Amino acid sequence: MNYNGGNTTGFASPAGDNLEGRIDLAAMLDLSRPSRYPVRVAGDALASRGIFAGDILIADAASPPAHGKVAVVMLNGAVLVGQLAYRQQQWWLASGHPDTAPIAVTGDDAEIWAVVTGLIRTQV
Amino acid sequence: MSVFALIDGNSFYCSAERAFAPELRGLPLVVLSNNDGCAIARTAEAKALGIKMGEPWHLALRRPACKQVEWRSSNYPLYGDMSRRMYEVLAARVPQVEPYSIDEMFLDLTGLPDLENFCRRLRDDVRRLTKIPTCVGIGPTKTIAKLANRIAKDEFALRGVCDLRAPATRATCYAQSPLRMVWGIGGKTAEKLNKLGITSIADFVRLAPEQVRELLTATGARVQAELRGQSCIPLTLMPPPRQAIAVTRSFGRLVTSWGELREAVAAFATRAAEKLRADGLQAGHLSVFAHTNPHNGDDWYSASRAAQIEPTADTLALITEAVRLLRAIWRPNFRYFKAGIMLGDFAPARQQSGLFSTRDAVKSARAMAALDAVNARFGSGTLRPAATGMIKTWAGRQARHSPRYTTRAEEMLIAKAF
Repeated sequence: MNYNGGNTTGFASPAGDNLEGRIDLAAMLDLSRPSRYPVRVAGDALASRGIFAGDILIADAASPPAHGKVAVVMLNGAVLVGQLAYRQQQWWLASGHPDTAPIAVTGDDAEIWAVVTGLIRTQV
Repeated sequence: MSVFALIDGNSFYCSAERAFAPELRGLPLVVLSNNDGCAIARTAEAKALGIKMGEPWHLALRRPACKQVEWRSSNYPLYGDMSRRMYEVLAARVPQVEPYSIDEMFLDLTGLPDLENFCRRLRDDVRRLTKIPTCVGIGPTKTIAKLANRIAKDEFALRGVCDLRAPATRATCYAQSPLRMVWGIGGKTAEKLNKLGITSIADFVRLAPEQVRELLTATGARVQAELRGQSCIPLTLMPPPRQAIAVTRSFGRLVTSWGELREAVAAFATRAAEKLRADGLQAGHLSVFAHTNPHNGDDWYSASRAAQIEPTADTLALITEAVRLLRAIWRPNFRYFKAGIMLGDFAPARQQSGLFSTRDAVKSARAMAALDAVNARFGSGTLRPAATGMIKTWAGRQARHSPRYTTRAEEMLIAKAF
């Protein structure tokens, strides 16, 4: 039988009228929105932002880019995730490493693909 | 006055691939049919190299220009999910959306102001949220909207939106456009009319409706009325009920043994049964066919067998019936190229056994529900009848299958931390 905490066979469950669904993480993360994509992180360059290899990012293409946000960027044929910066009237992708220079997100082959709105880590 | 629009994804399958693969942007790209047989989607760059729709890929590869073309096997889980995303972006912005095909949606835009800008914003939103570039055609009927969409695609200067609401614009367009561009006019019909000197859309629209009815029956008359601006085809918001479910495949490698053919047909029956249950139906009719390759010089053998069956949606029962029919058409010493099964005679699935039924309907329904639940949770094919084979030797070639980015946890898009 499919016992849910309410449908007892002997004594009526005192919880029967107050049952609630379980916490639904997919709903909390709003994964069914058409603009949301899960993206897996490779590499530890963003460790300073608390983002590690293997983490799953929730990237939302509807979320507007803003200075300081983490975003998935398509640049010169590569899929990158880094921190956005807006300077000199254009977008830059800043590295998590202090000694790596930021790169300009410009040209035909550059797109702020989606802004990261959440993070899932299944193993801590 | 009604206003319809047709929005469709440009080279939809290719665009879905490019959405997640920036290295493919700007390059000629084709997506191949099941089995990597023919080109079924081409980017503008691939079209420019002369690759035709449906062109066998092994033939195209003989041309030096095509060697540089990127190609992918078809990834329907991805395309289906991207189509769902496109629909939802539209449904959040337009009162009524009809998903006409995987890459085309009809919109009812009646009463909306400033339509051209509205449609440009729609295109931008679909592009930004789903990464799919689109074109939009606008008109007072679905047939005109479809024609406008075609023109939006062909005429680069229109920047993706073509509005054929104004009768004067239509008149110019009709005079310049061949009749075969019209939705609902097939190649044969166009040919027949061409012989009578009716070559442009304008020629066709000018005919007396009675004459069109005589030449092309009521269907042709409806097309003409739609082209004249009288809306006859409303938006369809419910898919029509299924008449048949077919699962057919050409094999990746010619199949010669009974065991392999039986496994393939069992797998087709498994898939057909899943579709049946997803629609809450049971089938009372089943047919099976198999044939050799008509093009490779092999001896031609083609056979099919059909039967009424005790209505069911049970995978195992359908496999049993399908294999029984297959046994009747199986001949050794042929190399089978394609096989398939078809289900029909549908009725809503019942959980009670009939008076004369030989199967336990309740037990079957429970087993099938468990099977479907496991496959829904862990991916299709996780739990499947052993009769479908452990190693699918007959399965199609899918040599360059891209990841199922949005439907499989282990195949997500990977971004390199910068």
